[in-house]
Amino acid sequence: MQAIYIQILALILLTIGLATALSRRNMFFVLMGIELSLNAVNLSLVGFAKTLPAAASIAGQIIPLFTIGVAAAEACVGLAVVILLFRNQETVDTDNYSNMKG
Amino acid sequence: MLALIYFIILSVLVVGSALCVLLSKHPLYGALSLVVTMLSLAGIYGLLGSPFVGVVQVMVYAGAVMMLLCFVIMVLNGARDNHTPRFDRVSLFIIPALIVLAVLIAIVLLNARFGFNAGTLRGSVALTSEALFDTSKASAGYFLIFEALGLLLLSAMATAVVLAKKKLGSPENSDSGEGR
Repeated sequence: MQAIYIQILALILLTIGLATALSRRNMFFVLMGIELSLNAVNLSLVGFAKTLPAAASIAGQIIPLFTIGVAAAEACVGLAVVILLFRNQETVDTDNYSNMKG
Repeated sequence: MLALIYFIILSVLVVGSALCVLLSKHPLYGALSLVVTMLSLAGIYGLLGSPFVGVVQVMVYAGAVMMLLCFVIMVLNGARDNHTPRFDRVSLFIIPALIVLAVLIAIVLLNARFGFNAGTLRGSVALTSEALFDTSKASAGYFLIFEALGLLLLSAMATAVVLAKKKLGSPENSDSGEGR
């Protein structure tokens, strides 16, 4: 197993996540695509940490822990915003959120 | 060799369930596929020698975040009868752009020379927690970031409660269960 395989897997996952976040019209799928992209970045960080020498590699494995915590906070606030949007607009379709279009 | 076979099985699971998230019609099916993706990623972390990150991935991502997402999807139930198409004409431009981006990054990655360092530390629970909660003067100060992360999570929870709470004195109270 080589280090490049991890990075290629992370790249495929990032592309699928970005495609989900940008091309789907449902609000929940946009959030899920963002979560998928964050997971891909975590995988890439852990994969690169394994290529570093001893003391620096442990730092590369601690940074994904902080990323996971920040992603949990982001999901919490994002889902609250989705609840608020659904209560005001009665839809989860992102094309209908066009109130501020000029 | 055995690690390569495990890695291939887990990466096929990861990519397949991520494609299920992209192509599924109902958000709940997408959320359950996302749970499979995160569990397989935790397996890959364990295979790479970072079991602590894998366990945190299972507990926080596959446990807490996905539970919250499934809960909100089931509470809102707004996906049952919307006739939104999965993809539209904008997607025709997004998908080729993303493929071009992926090819460019892949060219850069394949030209880089790096490999696994044999002298690297394995991220066991003891080593990771020693580095994380080292409060001596010579430490890198990760415990301060850890405390700041606790404050961030607390403020995010308070923000979510304030945002999702119904206004007091609002006339209709038909649906409930938004507080968490």
